[in-house]
Amino acid sequence: MLVMMMLAAAALLVLALVSGAVLGWANRAFHVEVDPRIEAIAGVLPGANCGGCGFIGCGDYAAAVVNQGAPVNKCTVGGASCAAAVARIMGVEAKESWPARPVVHCRATLEDRLLRAEYRGEQTCAAANVVSGVQGCTYGCLGLGDCARACSYGALRIVRGLAEVDYEKCVGCGACARACPRHILTMVPFKAERMVVIACSNRDFGKDVRNVCKVGCLGCKACEKAMGSLFKVVDNLPRIDYEAYSGDPDVAPALQKCPSKTIVRVGKPSPRDLEATRDQKVPGEIPPDPRSSVDRTSWRG
Amino acid sequence: MDYLVGLLLLVLTTAVINNFVFHFFVGICPYIGVSRRLDTALGMGLAVTFVMAVAAALSWGITYALLRPDAPLALAVCRLFAPGTASVDLSVLKYLVYIFLIASAVQFVEMYLRKVFPPLYKAFGVFLPLITTNCCILFACLEIGSDRRMSGGAEAWDLAQALAYAVAAGLGFTLAIVIMAGIREELDHADVPQALRGPAIVLIIAGILAMAFLGFAGVDAGVARLFGR
Repeated sequence: MLVMMMLAAAALLVLALVSGAVLGWANRAFHVEVDPRIEAIAGVLPGANCGGCGFIGCGDYAAAVVNQGAPVNKCTVGGASCAAAVARIMGVEAKESWPARPVVHCRATLEDRLLRAEYRGEQTCAAANVVSGVQGCTYGCLGLGDCARACSYGALRIVRGLAEVDYEKCVGCGACARACPRHILTMVPFKAERMVVIACSNRDFGKDVRNVCKVGCLGCKACEKAMGSLFKVVDNLPRIDYEAYSGDPDVAPALQKCPSKTIVRVGKPSPRDLEATRDQKVPGEIPPDPRSSVDRTSWRG
Repeated sequence: MDYLVGLLLLVLTTAVINNFVFHFFVGICPYIGVSRRLDTALGMGLAVTFVMAVAAALSWGITYALLRPDAPLALAVCRLFAPGTASVDLSVLKYLVYIFLIASAVQFVEMYLRKVFPPLYKAFGVFLPLITTNCCILFACLEIGSDRRMSGGAEAWDLAQALAYAVAAGLGFTLAIVIMAGIREELDHADVPQALRGPAIVLIIAGILAMAFLGFAGVDAGVARLFGR
């Protein structure tokens, strides 16, 4: 019995020593030179492996920074301090990085969207998008909530057929922008708590837009004439150059001229807005209305 | 010839009929965790196949020489210190030794790949270290090292058969995880009830797939008849 026990212990010991020796030898024999900066950068990255930078994980991003010269400020989770740390390792200046948040480039609620047909197919935007004639506007929000389902943080909801972002809950992962089949949701660098955005995606001429939507952008270029520094109309749709955007610009002249009120502010309300609406009665939060999942999943064709 | 037919039947039985995922329910964590996309699922399946083959060869050798009842090496060492020892059995060490072997083998393979085949190392990525704690590898080792496979009876395996078993089991796992990844990619477009999203619906689908794979039961007997056995 004692011999057996000794034998068992000895067998394990020998096995451990042999594999230890083999692995130790392999570690030296198969040593690969790795740029020490890669490990240093991987050390200062958050290690969340979220993929928000566009690379597979933190390790991949660190390698890309060193080997391919990827920008040092791509990490949205780590933010400015992380970008500064990576920049210090690489010996470059860090450009300031901004959190990207989704913006809905459409402001037409169900009653604003014209020429709508009854759609009985699969209740997802991806499916409705390939069917013609669901609604007149082929650019606008379909309101079937692919973005809301894609959001893991409950930051999106559909209100009267239009996607709405809750910027308090949003973390900027971009899942909604990837889910939207019409690319109405885009990620905008939020350089301020509130951002000026264009709430329309329709690139048709004004008359065609009016035929399908009550509130769509007509492409009249009034904003460009009023504030050419900020707005640039391309394909009948104003664009905002967010590279040149700073602070909270006063867009009152453009807003006054805009006939369809397409230029809107999104984001967290500013103190001024809160002050202005303080006396108004705000409708209370509507409690959730749980229903059986069968309601939503049953085939209605 | 008879040996080759036996090998073929072993591969068929292990990969399809007694599929590790659908029949034995081992390796479920990578099966659920890495079956979200087709290419990563294929990568994981091939990595498992590779590691399983390496681990099977190692564990077969160690079990044959040391761990099975009356193993030659163990008996020789024992007789060296206590002459006249009749029998020796180190089977209790199997779990410990196999886990140890798998972990070191994975480490070794990782270092080797990193040096010699960097593209393959990059393709395997994070999966290789993950496999260290994969229960289907340990399951394969335990089956290969089990008494009926080692004791020299009718069901005993030699090294080639153990290797064939491991590779077939790995391919079966690859098959299962690739099928599931294909289904899950389509599932993204389906309206799954909130409560069933994620692993829940995957487990349900795995159950349905397992039932479908029940249809392969008896195929081995037919193939054996085909070869006149």
